[in-house]
Amino acid sequence: MLNRIALAALAAACLPAFAQSVPAGYPADYAKTLAAAEKEGKVVVYSTTDTKAAQPLIKDFETLYPNIKVEYNDVNSTEMYNRFIAEVAAGQGSADVMWSSAMDLQVKLVDEGHAMTYMSPEAPKLPHWAVYKNQAWGTTYEPCVFIYNKRLVTGNDIPQDHASFARILNTESAKYQGKVTTYDIDKSGLGFMFFVQDTQHFAGMKDLERGFGKTHYRVYSATGSMLEKVSSGEHLLGYDVLGAYALVRAKKDPNLGVVLPKDYTLVLSRVMFISKTAKHPDAAKVWTDYILSQRGQKVIGGAVELFAVRNDVDAEYTAAKLNKELGDKVKPIPVSTEITTYLEPKKRLEFLNAWKTELAAGAK
Amino acid sequence: MTSAVNASHPAPPGFGGHPFARGLPRALTIALTAAAVLAPLSLILYQSLLSAPFFDARKTLGLDAYRFIFDDADFWKALVNSLLIASGMTLIAVPLGGALAFIMERTDLPGKRLIEPLILVPSFVSPMVLAFGYVVSAGPVGFYSVLATRLLGGIPWGLYSVPAMAVIAGLTHVPNVYIYASSALKNLGSDVEEAARIAGASPLQVAMSVSLPLIMPALLFSSVLVFFLGLELFGLPLVLGDPEGHLVLSTYLYELTNKLGTPSYHLMAAVAICIVAMTVPLVLLQRKLLQNTRKYATIRGKAGRVRELPLGRWKWPAIAVAGLFLLVTVVVPLSGIVLRAFVTNWGLGVSVIDALTLDNFRSVFEEPTHTRAIWNTVLLGTLGGAITVACYTAIGFATHRRNDGWSRIVDFLVLAPRAVPGLLIGLAFLWVFLFFPPLRPLRTTIFSMWLAYSVVWLAYGMRLISSSLMQVSPELEEAARTVGASRGRISREITLPLIRAGLLGSWLLVFMIFEREYSTGVYLLAPGTEVIGAELVSLWQGGAIDVVAALALINIVLVFAGLATAALRFGVRLRD
Repeated sequence: MLNRIALAALAAACLPAFAQSVPAGYPADYAKTLAAAEKEGKVVVYSTTDTKAAQPLIKDFETLYPNIKVEYNDVNSTEMYNRFIAEVAAGQGSADVMWSSAMDLQVKLVDEGHAMTYMSPEAPKLPHWAVYKNQAWGTTYEPCVFIYNKRLVTGNDIPQDHASFARILNTESAKYQGKVTTYDIDKSGLGFMFFVQDTQHFAGMKDLERGFGKTHYRVYSATGSMLEKVSSGEHLLGYDVLGAYALVRAKKDPNLGVVLPKDYTLVLSRVMFISKTAKHPDAAKVWTDYILSQRGQKVIGGAVELFAVRNDVDAEYTAAKLNKELGDKVKPIPVSTEITTYLEPKKRLEFLNAWKTELAAGAK
Repeated sequence: MTSAVNASHPAPPGFGGHPFARGLPRALTIALTAAAVLAPLSLILYQSLLSAPFFDARKTLGLDAYRFIFDDADFWKALVNSLLIASGMTLIAVPLGGALAFIMERTDLPGKRLIEPLILVPSFVSPMVLAFGYVVSAGPVGFYSVLATRLLGGIPWGLYSVPAMAVIAGLTHVPNVYIYASSALKNLGSDVEEAARIAGASPLQVAMSVSLPLIMPALLFSSVLVFFLGLELFGLPLVLGDPEGHLVLSTYLYELTNKLGTPSYHLMAAVAICIVAMTVPLVLLQRKLLQNTRKYATIRGKAGRVRELPLGRWKWPAIAVAGLFLLVTVVVPLSGIVLRAFVTNWGLGVSVIDALTLDNFRSVFEEPTHTRAIWNTVLLGTLGGAITVACYTAIGFATHRRNDGWSRIVDFLVLAPRAVPGLLIGLAFLWVFLFFPPLRPLRTTIFSMWLAYSVVWLAYGMRLISSSLMQVSPELEEAARTVGASRGRISREITLPLIRAGLLGSWLLVFMIFEREYSTGVYLLAPGTEVIGAELVSLWQGGAIDVVAALALINIVLVFAGLATAALRFGVRLRD
C-alpha cells in the first residue's frame, strides 16, 4: 500500500497538469469521472468536523488531486442543516458534499431526496450498516464514552458500564450532587440520539435517569463545556460524551479519564452524502471516494484523530482496534431510516417528557 | 419652547434648491435603512405565521407557532428570567455607568487616561469568553474560589443563579452606558457645575442634581439599549445559565432549534416577534421622554469651558468605585482567560506551574483559518467600521432636527433589529441574501457580514452619532440658514466639522463592537470570510477550549493595540 501512496505522490508531483490515473480496483470509466472532476476544479464541503481537525485530509486530498481544490466550510450541525435547506430551496449553490455528525438529520435529508445516488467503488469495503441506499455513507467509528476526573474519582467509583454508572449515582448521590454531567437533550441533537440508543440497549435506563435526577445532574449543549468542567473538577463524571474529542484531550490533559463502557459502547459515524444539486458532482464523487478509501481512512484514524470506519486500516484510532478491544459490545448507530424516528415532533416531545418525568421522580 | 423648536423644523419654503432635490438624499437614506432593517424583520414576521419553513411547499398559514410557545412552560420561564435579568442589569449598569462617566469626565481623579480603556474591556470581549473567564476564576473550582475556600471556609458567591447572571450582565454592560454618558458630559460646559460647587454642593450632589440630569437623553437611551441587550443576551446565559438549567429567551430560542428534531423556524420567529413587540412601548416611551431635545443642546454659539472638579475628600470613595468595578468586571474574568490560555489543564488540586504551556498559542498560529480570521476581523472592524460610521452619519442627518413621522419611524427601525437574538437575525439575513436575487452574488463575500453587523448594531452606533448631533445647538445651523445656506450645505459645512471628533470616536467604538460580534455572522461565514467571534463558537463546540482562550486573548491584545495606535499615532480619542 505504501507503494501505492508513493506512486500517487510521485504522479502528483510529476504530472500535475495531466489527468490522474484511475486508482487500483476502480472501474476503468472512473477516468471520465476524474477528468470531469478536474474540469470542475473544486468541491464544496459543509462539515461539522472543524477545519483544524480536517486539515490533514484536505492537504492529502489536494496532494493526490492537485487540480481539485477543497472549499471546506466548518459549521455546527444545526447551522449546516439550516443553510443547506435554505440554499437548495433558493436554487442557489450549496454544498456538493454534506458531512455531519448529526446522523439523523443527514438521513432525513437523504430520505427527503436531497442526495445523489452513487455507487462508490469503495462502498463494498465499508461495514454494511454504514452504507445507506448508495446515497449516504458512514465515514468514522467514534465511540460514545464516559469521562471522569482522574484526581477526584478513583477505584470502584470509576463507572465501567452503564449499570455501574446508574448504581454510583443512586448509592452515592450525596458525593455526586451537581457533579455529574451530560448533553442537554433539549438542546443537543447528538445527546438526544445517544439517549434514544441507550434506551434500546440498556434495560436499566430508568434507574440511570432517576440517578441523574437524584444527583441534580448538569447538562450542556457543547462537548467542550463538559470536558473542561470534568477536567477542572467542577464536575466529576460525564455520561455519553463524544469519544473522539475526549480521547484527544485526555492525551494531553492528565486530569481527564475516559472509559469505553464494557457492557456496550455506542458508536457514532459521521455521515457523508453528495447533494443531488451539487454544482461539482464529479469532484464530489472523487472526494467521497477518497474519504472512504484506505488512504483517506488512514488519515482519519491518524492525524485527524477520529476513528477509521474501515476494518482494513492501520492507524492510531480505528474500528479494528475498537472491535478487538470490545468485541461484540460495540454497537454502531446504523445509518438508516430508523434513526430519524424521533425527528417527528410529537414522538420527540413524548420522549423528552418521559425523560423529564423520570428525572423528577429521581429528584424527589 | 417645544413648539418654537418644532415650528422651525420644516424648512421654510424657498430655502435651498428644488424641494424634490432637497428631500431626495433624505428619502433615499431612509428608504435604504428601512429596506435593510425591514427585509429580515418582515421575513421573521411572515415565518412566525407559518407552520413550516417559508420556502417549504408544505407550509400553511396560521397561529400555531404562537400557540405552541404560549403553551410551553419553558417559554414562560425564559421570559421571566429574561425580564428579571434585563431589568436587573439596567438597574446596575445605568447608575454605575453614569457614576463612572462623571468621575472620569468631571473630576481630578488620578490616572484617568489609563483607566479609561480598561473600563471598556467588557464591551469588546466576546460575552461567552468573558463568562468562561468567570468560570475559570470564580466558578465552583475557580482559583479565586479555591482561595476563598481556604481563607473563609466557603465561597461567599455563586455564579450560576439568575441574580448572579443579572449582576454579571449588569457589570459587563457598564461600558455601554459609560460611553454615552461620558460623551454627553464631555460636551457639557462645566459652568453650571461650578456654580453648584461654589454654592457648597459636594461632588456627589453636583453629580446627582446637576450633571446627570443634564445628560438625561444619554442615560435614558442607554437604559433602553441595555434593556434590549438584556433581552437578547446569549453568550453569558449559555455559559452561566446551563449548569443550573436557567433558560432565557435567546437560549430558549437555541433550544427550539433542536427540541422538535429539526430547527423550528416558525417557533423561533414567534419568540422573536414577541420580543420585538415588547420593545415597541419602550421606544415610544423613550421618544416621549426625549421630545424636548433642545433643553439638552450644549454646544452653543458661545463656547462653554470644561473644568475638572476637585474631589477633595471624595477622592477615596471615587477611587473605590472605579477600582471595585475594574476588579470585578475586568480583572477577575480576564485573569481567568489569561490563565486558561497558558495552561493545559486547571482546577481542583492542579498545580498551575506544572500545567504551563505555550502550545495553545502555537495551535492558533499553526492554523491558517485562525490567522485569516484575525485579519478578517481587523478588516471588518477598521475599514468596515469606517464605512458603517459613514452610513450611520447619513442616517443621523436624515433625522436630525426633524420631528416628523419619518424620524419616528427611523427611531424604531434603529432599535428593532437589536431586539432579535443574534442567531435568528443572522439566519434571517441568510434568507434575505438567498431569496432576494440582486443580493445573491454578495452572499459569500464579507459584504454580507458587514451589512448584518451594521444593521444589528444600528442602535448602538446611531446613538453615538445622534448624541454628537444633538449637542450642536440649532442656533449655529439657524445662523447659516439665515444667510441662505441649503440644508445639505449646512450639514456639510457647519454640523459635520463640528462633530468630526465625535465621529472618529464612534469609529473606534464601532471597531470594538465589531471585534467581538459572533452570533450574527454565523450563517454568512464562508471560506475566506472567517471572523474570530464565530471561530470561537465553533472551537468551543468541538471542545478546544484551550485554543478558545488563546485566540480570545490574542483578540483582546489586538483591540488594545488598535486603541493605542489610534490614540498615539493618529490622535483619535475615544471621545472628543
